[in-house]
Amino acid sequence: MSAVTTVHSVIQIGRPESMSRRTRIAIPLMLGAVAVGVIELVDPKGPWLVLVFLGSAIAAGEMLNLRPAGRVALPLSYAFFLVVVRAGTPAEVIVTIVVALGLAFILSPEPTLWRRIYTTAVRLAAILAALITYRLILDYGGLADQRWLVLLALVFAGVAEIVVSDGLIALSARQANFATHGRTADLAIITTGALMAISYNGIEGHAGMGLWGPVLFAIPLLAAWFAFEQVVAIRRTHDQTIAALSLVPELAGIVRPGHATRVAGLSQRLGSELGLGGDQLSALQSAALLHHLGHLCLDFGDPSGAPVHEADVATKGAEILRQTAELTPSAAILDGTDGTIASDILRVASAYDEISNGDETLRDSAIEELHRGPGYSYDVRVLAALERI
Amino acid sequence: MQIIQGQPRSADAVIGDQVKSRTIDSLTVFCLGLGAFTIAVAAVLARNSPLPDVAPLLVFAALFALAENQVAVLPNRASASASFMRAMAAIVAFQGQGPLLGALIVGLAGGLYWPHLRSGDWRKILFNSSNFALSSCAAAAAFTPIVHGSGERASTVLLLASVPAALAFSLVNLLLLGAVVSISTDTSYSAVLRELRPRIVQILPFALLGVFMGRLYLDYGAVIIPLFVVPILVARQAFASFLALKDSHQATVRILIGALEAKDPYTAGHAERVAGYAVMIGREMRFNTARIERLRFAALMHDVGKLVVPNHLLNKPGKLTAEEFDIVRSHEAVSVEILTRIDFLAPVAPSATSEAHSMSAGADDSARPIEPFIVAVADAYDAMTSTRSYRKALPQEVAFEELRKNAGKQFNAEVVESLIGALTRSGAQHGAGFEEEPHEFAVEPPTVGTGSAGLGDLADAQAADSPAIAQDQALMASSRINEAAKGRELMRENSTEGASL
Repeated sequence: MSAVTTVHSVIQIGRPESMSRRTRIAIPLMLGAVAVGVIELVDPKGPWLVLVFLGSAIAAGEMLNLRPAGRVALPLSYAFFLVVVRAGTPAEVIVTIVVALGLAFILSPEPTLWRRIYTTAVRLAAILAALITYRLILDYGGLADQRWLVLLALVFAGVAEIVVSDGLIALSARQANFATHGRTADLAIITTGALMAISYNGIEGHAGMGLWGPVLFAIPLLAAWFAFEQVVAIRRTHDQTIAALSLVPELAGIVRPGHATRVAGLSQRLGSELGLGGDQLSALQSAALLHHLGHLCLDFGDPSGAPVHEADVATKGAEILRQTAELTPSAAILDGTDGTIASDILRVASAYDEISNGDETLRDSAIEELHRGPGYSYDVRVLAALERI
Repeated sequence: MQIIQGQPRSADAVIGDQVKSRTIDSLTVFCLGLGAFTIAVAAVLARNSPLPDVAPLLVFAALFALAENQVAVLPNRASASASFMRAMAAIVAFQGQGPLLGALIVGLAGGLYWPHLRSGDWRKILFNSSNFALSSCAAAAAFTPIVHGSGERASTVLLLASVPAALAFSLVNLLLLGAVVSISTDTSYSAVLRELRPRIVQILPFALLGVFMGRLYLDYGAVIIPLFVVPILVARQAFASFLALKDSHQATVRILIGALEAKDPYTAGHAERVAGYAVMIGREMRFNTARIERLRFAALMHDVGKLVVPNHLLNKPGKLTAEEFDIVRSHEAVSVEILTRIDFLAPVAPSATSEAHSMSAGADDSARPIEPFIVAVADAYDAMTSTRSYRKALPQEVAFEELRKNAGKQFNAEVVESLIGALTRSGAQHGAGFEEEPHEFAVEPPTVGTGSAGLGDLADAQAADSPAIAQDQALMASSRINEAAKGRELMRENSTEGASL
């Protein structure tokens, strides 16, 4: 290896954004394992054994996010926050958190320094919210049974940290998100966190299980993380497959470059403007992306053959899409048998793009031309919406 | 079908509807006998030990039944063994108050699988209930003496004791299941047992989790159960939506194949067959599940570029002009372009620039993925063994011979041998006389064609310098991997194909 490549690879290690996720997770876990080993020899009875373990789990958990659809990512570290809340004195807890988040800051995959600082600030606010909520409920809670009180305090601490964290993220994105989508991830984090917390050091009179508790009860949460990651991966593949198929007509030279993407984008805006629901919008999206698929199956480009008619393209495309239940709603939009405004939207969007070809300066003349209607008329509501957006 | 760590666990898979009447009798006798034995064990236990509390019995029985009804097969064929986990929890929770009987009663709930209840399939219910009851009871019998002997509930003791418990559970489960499989399929017991060998390493973590859950139950009561069950349910729900999305991805790929077949009816079923052969090769080469899945999709989509070829060129009976030939050939570049836009498939998309140079070296350059070569061989094999408009299907032996002859040249030798090995072992027959859906042609295709845009023309092998190459050669699978060396390679291909005929 030449000196240049050696220097290059050293620089690579120094740049966290080029590390793989596996490395990001391995570093805190290995540091933690070494530290736990040292403490086990020096001071096995003190609080630091578990605090170091939790610190490295938090730093590693920062690299693993639950990412259900329609929800901002939720790091697994939030579950460990609930354990650390009861694992030592407030001073010890704060030192642990600061070190763990510092390590996560260094290893963060976020590209900009500003994003890293913001993320760390959100985490600090979240753990603070958890700590305060837990303490308040324990100190002022009026339940006779200490076990119930601790459990309640843990669950509310979990709710508090997630509410604060989501609120701050919504603030920076300048849009509130009260969606109920993906809330099962919140449930998994809170219940696992509470379970790990009480299994670690027990509640008054009931001995804990030590580190075995958090280690074992993290398994179902990791399984959930893995499952969500699978969902993310297959959804991306699915979307990319449709997007790639939508490109074929332009590669075949039967439409201009970018046609399918622009029509899909315009259909979505028109659809939202005209109040289509989520399912209808996604069916419209697929129909728009694939609306020239039928064209490919007809005999295009044959100088001696008959010209291809737009209606045949739609019919043929719908025939193909109808082969699967998944895309049957899109097929109905394509050939106009769904009887809703969605197929009018698609017709207008496609015709508009064929005239304007993505050129915004042609917008007015394109709309005017659509109003005149080449042969048949376009839906006036859709045209009105097109003028508005 | 329910699966435990790769082995069928309940009788669902085994007791099918088409079992012969003779075996139905012995099966019925076996299930009844097993049920009676279970009741006898329960009776003996009830006489000799204290009865467990009703509330925890109901809680754990409900959990057990819930787990059974939620069984989902996970991608690595290991199902989260939730029922076993709950059996272990029950065993710990009943320590000191008849753990054997408690575990047995909780295990009985394992037979309450809703589809069986609905269809009134009493033999399956009886077998599953007895199986789970006896397995759980065996686990309790292995677990209890160790914990009692040490006289404490320390974590380490519980963890140690859960190892023999897991062993006992899977052993009894295996023996009973083996018996029922052996009876209903008329196979020898030992052969069945070899097939179903247990994987203790995989179920141990569930044993440990179950033990801890039982401990927490003892300390905190039923309130702990939602905390434990929720993450598991969330994981299962996410897996379920993963499986649903996988189906819709499958549907999208189906669309593509539908479009191709609408264009060129001669290739009906081609993509699926190529995918099937590619998967066979992948298995033979010991790919893991994820890699096989990727290979399957790459194979299903390998002809996507043909969508850009106008129909009149695709089905042109005569020779193509230079210009037409270029259009037809462009489909390969389009296929690559499409595949590279899908992150999941990009690593296995054939790269147009790097293929040709290694052809003669046998193409076992380890830096490049082998998948494009697998798809090429699968594609060539299917092309040869199915009837096209320009010639009839070739016999399987001829196809094998062709592949072998070109192994190390245009085909990767290891891939060729993997396909032939897998096909020979499976005994599958393709090609002349074995086609699934014989085509109807207005004009019967020639067996060996000359002058039919068929291979006869190509035997001249002068085609290389002439752009007028017959369309089938342009579309022929093997040419795809020769992108950069169009002329040379095509010539060689032509001559070899022609020579064999």
